[in-house]
Amino acid sequence: MTPNLRFWLGAALLALVLFLSLRLLGNDYAYFAGYFVLQYVVLASAWNILGGYAGYVNFGAAGFMAAGAYAAIVLRQALGLELLPGILFAALVAGLLGLGTGYLTLRLRGVYFSIATLCLAVVLQTLVVNWDYVGGSRGAYIVHPRDIPPFTSYAEYLFVVMLVLAILAAGIGRAVERSSLGRGLQAIRDNERAAEAVGVPTLRLKLVATTLCGALMGVAGAPLPYYSGYLNPEAAFSLAYAVNAIAMPLIGGAGTWAGPVIGAVLLASLQQAATVTISSALNLWIVGWMLVIFVALAPKGILGWFRRRP
Amino acid sequence: MQNITRRDFGRLAMAAAVGGAGVSAGVFPAMAQGANPIRIGFSMSLSGGLAGNGRAALAAQQIWAADVNAKGGLLGRPVQLVFYDDQTNGGQVPGIYTKLLDVDKVDIVTSPYATAMIAPAMPVVMQRQMCFVTILGAGVNTTFKYNRHFNMNVVGDNMKETFAKGFLDIADTLATKPRSIAILAVDNDFAQRAAESARFLARQRNIRVVYDRSYPPSTVDFTPTLRAVQAARPDLIYIASYPPDSNGILRAASELRISAQMFGGGMVGPQLAAFQAQLGPILNNLVNWDIFSIEPTMNYPGVSDFLTKYRAVAAREQTDVLGNYIPPYAYAQMQVVEQAVTRVGKIDQGLMAADMHSQVFDTIIGPVTFAASGEWAHERNLYCQFQGITDGNLERYKSPGAKVILYPPSLKSGTLRTPYGTPA
Repeated sequence: MTPNLRFWLGAALLALVLFLSLRLLGNDYAYFAGYFVLQYVVLASAWNILGGYAGYVNFGAAGFMAAGAYAAIVLRQALGLELLPGILFAALVAGLLGLGTGYLTLRLRGVYFSIATLCLAVVLQTLVVNWDYVGGSRGAYIVHPRDIPPFTSYAEYLFVVMLVLAILAAGIGRAVERSSLGRGLQAIRDNERAAEAVGVPTLRLKLVATTLCGALMGVAGAPLPYYSGYLNPEAAFSLAYAVNAIAMPLIGGAGTWAGPVIGAVLLASLQQAATVTISSALNLWIVGWMLVIFVALAPKGILGWFRRRP
Repeated sequence: MQNITRRDFGRLAMAAAVGGAGVSAGVFPAMAQGANPIRIGFSMSLSGGLAGNGRAALAAQQIWAADVNAKGGLLGRPVQLVFYDDQTNGGQVPGIYTKLLDVDKVDIVTSPYATAMIAPAMPVVMQRQMCFVTILGAGVNTTFKYNRHFNMNVVGDNMKETFAKGFLDIADTLATKPRSIAILAVDNDFAQRAAESARFLARQRNIRVVYDRSYPPSTVDFTPTLRAVQAARPDLIYIASYPPDSNGILRAASELRISAQMFGGGMVGPQLAAFQAQLGPILNNLVNWDIFSIEPTMNYPGVSDFLTKYRAVAAREQTDVLGNYIPPYAYAQMQVVEQAVTRVGKIDQGLMAADMHSQVFDTIIGPVTFAASGEWAHERNLYCQFQGITDGNLERYKSPGAKVILYPPSLKSGTLRTPYGTPA
């Protein structure tokens, strides 16, 4: 059995076990909590393609995610198409946005690139706030059907959709890591000038990475309006998405496909648990402290920490 | 990526198991049932942008629960509030309401504060056919059309034609009829609806709109904006803003010595004690939308007692120390639930909804009836004017006279003073 086949079979099996366990548990809250965690798996995996492999830190994750969410809303308003076509459209829109942004900003490096991505999110938010077709500052309502056979509830359907997307995102991350694209991006991260000198097509690879990163972030955002039933610009462009998209890969281990998955599962589960137990005011506090702790004790994240020991 | 060794995998699995156990224990805590209480669940913004109002609403709801329990409970059972902080993040709300209903198994759900938090709860609540009494939402049910939704808000179900009516009716009483108006609104749902109403009604009355702009919520410097308003020389200035910008606008207006026959509108912020303490005389003659004022015309049975109790706990709970804005409505929201349950005699969501559609509710904010849409059958937008404010002493707001009611006529407690414009 090839490693690739083993990965996809393993992921499918894990997904099946997870799905059956939650169905046995028999309450929708588990699906909502699972959705919350899995959306961050997609987002963190997307961020990792550009930030983890190529070393280009994207502060605009919330912008790309919101672009996906609003793309799904536009498709619904215009053609009445529901979630699945919405996800494809979101991938297209956010991917093109990533490509455009990449072309404009990849001549910037380091902190200048990061600031440019942050600016993109601000520009997008301003556009959305002034675009009445998608609700503008008032927000957009999505009334989804109560049931969607053969699923037991809409929450279960959303969970399954996000589960599939999370597996795809992790699989894409893994494929990038093991391909010449991933090796090229890692060369760019280590020394972009040297990579260029030895023939790595840096601009082309970075454009592919920004497109892929944008498309996956858009995909993470597309189900958001269906999940909450209502989306306004403050919620769609929430700082929490941008912070978590960076923190999760860093804590799990940036530059590896499994790192963002581990970071997202750990951090998002902690946040969800804090929300319904201690106090959700602690959410970003938890993220902040975990970042400080990991940067100080395990700068290569959880995976790096395990690996450095015999 | 290097391959993960079997030993590494074992360590990761152990870490995941330990972490997962901790999380599960936290997410699904064993719920003490005690004496079979009636459990009322909701999310509330206890952190984030709406935390100021969310914490005040929660304090009021806790006072209600204590009052009901002191009287022997509801249907002979104690009342227990089950609530979670939504962080003013709509994305948290569906998960919280699902947990409340599926895991905590609450008997009744009520809403968090304001539209952006209420709307995400609606699909979950509708799925389970729960009766849902919300607080200060704006037009949420226009889309959902859910017949078990009831909103405690004075704006009613035709905000466009009624919200700014009070402001313009008061303007009609000016010695010189106003001929022009400037409208400035923040880019959010409530403010845009308020501005739409002002625009619509001004045109209906042939008042020329000489300035009509929106600004993003992140705006911090209002000097250029207000200079532009000033340059248009309007007779009336109508602002629809949220707390952070209301503060900036009023300070800028004071510094620029802006004057108009009437200044105010739908500003959220001046209703709160923190603003009243900070802004002091800058508030003088401001004519602003409100929902409650401690004037003799609004001295409904129970409201004074409630405010006394609220103010006793407000400092400890770090909420609005006066409680003249959201708290009476949050208490009344729970009174609606209480009266419906008492009349029905059991927890039956359908019967409770039917009761709410058909009955009058006697609350500390006056009698409340709901229209078919779930909004108040009769709007009751107040327009109040701050008068005689010399400093930031909050004691004056504990008795009538500091914030007199000019509209509606049925609740009027003072007469208009003009113009607006205080020295810096």
